[in-house]
Amino acid sequence: MTDENRDRLDELLEDAARTYNRPPDERHMPLDQIWESVEAQVFPATRRPTRYAQWLRVAAALIIGVGIGRLSLMRSSSRPPVTAGPIDSVARKASVKVADVQPVDPATSRYLGQAAALLIALPAETNTGRPDEAFTKRANDLLLTTRLLIDSQSGSDPALRNLLEDLELVLVQVVRLEKERDPSRRTEMELIRQALDQRDVIPRLRTAVTEYAADD
Amino acid sequence: MTRTAFALQTTPKVNEPELIARVLAGDRLAGRELYDAHAPRVYRLAYRLTGDAELAREFTQDTFVRAFQRLADFRGDAAFSTWIHRITITVVANAMRKVRRLRERETDLSDLDAAPTPSGSRRIDPDLRERLAKAIDGLPEIYRTTLIMHDLEGYTHTEIAGSLGVAEGTCKSRLSAARAQLRAALAEFAKEYES
Repeated sequence: MTDENRDRLDELLEDAARTYNRPPDERHMPLDQIWESVEAQVFPATRRPTRYAQWLRVAAALIIGVGIGRLSLMRSSSRPPVTAGPIDSVARKASVKVADVQPVDPATSRYLGQAAALLIALPAETNTGRPDEAFTKRANDLLLTTRLLIDSQSGSDPALRNLLEDLELVLVQVVRLEKERDPSRRTEMELIRQALDQRDVIPRLRTAVTEYAADD
Repeated sequence: MTRTAFALQTTPKVNEPELIARVLAGDRLAGRELYDAHAPRVYRLAYRLTGDAELAREFTQDTFVRAFQRLADFRGDAAFSTWIHRITITVVANAMRKVRRLRERETDLSDLDAAPTPSGSRRIDPDLRERLAKAIDGLPEIYRTTLIMHDLEGYTHTEIAGSLGVAEGTCKSRLSAARAQLRAALAEFAKEYES
């Protein structure tokens, strides 16, 4: 082996440092994505609630308000019908009218109670970053019932249908929250959140909650 | 030498014992800080050893998951960086045994032709570069890891010895043996080339 070979090897190794399995620059390393996976496995119980989860809590609180209002209304459905006041067409679309609501069957009533119970528990569940499997399964079952009710006779009541559709949306989010650990789901969830915003779900629910409160 | 700079540039400047204590108490942000201090070097090393972005990502993730899950076992006798590099090398070595078996079945020599030549590098005969790359790939794993860490990534013998859990003298003799094997491989190539 000659000295020339030694020099040549050093030169080649310097070249290899630039070419052999050359890693990307740090700014191109997928470090954030890797951290998300590490965090999900190592710190699942201490993950900060996402903006999405915080939004869900607000939505859940409003849905609960509507549900409770509905339930009280159903209990008092034997009362003579209340005549709606002079409300313009825009407000009529945006709000839930007490006079429009018809009595519902006991199964629907029971379902609404179960949905309310589930949504009451939601904030505590999302405190840990995501609901546990049993919670998600229950949300999934209620989601199926919701969809059946929307397609049933109960869905012909415009006010109840509105409530069921809003509940469906929230339950869809709860079910998807289970899959939030998967980074590929994040974009999809963000799109759902945007869709909910575009439908003005929260302003509509606020209106409904206010009306029920006023009626009581 | 610029190679050495890679290893030293990212030397963490955080108070690690405090960070580690916070991580053990469940502090997610401390975990992120500890991760940020070491992830670039771990990823670089995983990439060098595997030559594959997806594998480097997977092994970096496995390294940190293991490190955090076993953090209570870290006694602080050695630097955290040494400890996590030891985990990295173990993770990569174990996983690459399986990967290598798969790759042996589907080796495509034409892939090596696609290696880019960075601007500013001296002109090296592509055949020679390919031969060297193959020779590095063909080194026994302990030699290859030592050579990559020292000659390509600029780790010191002390760092390598700590990461591999061997004496510095062992590390030096492994590097020497690795270079001798490369020289032999290149000498063979030189004969072929001349004839």
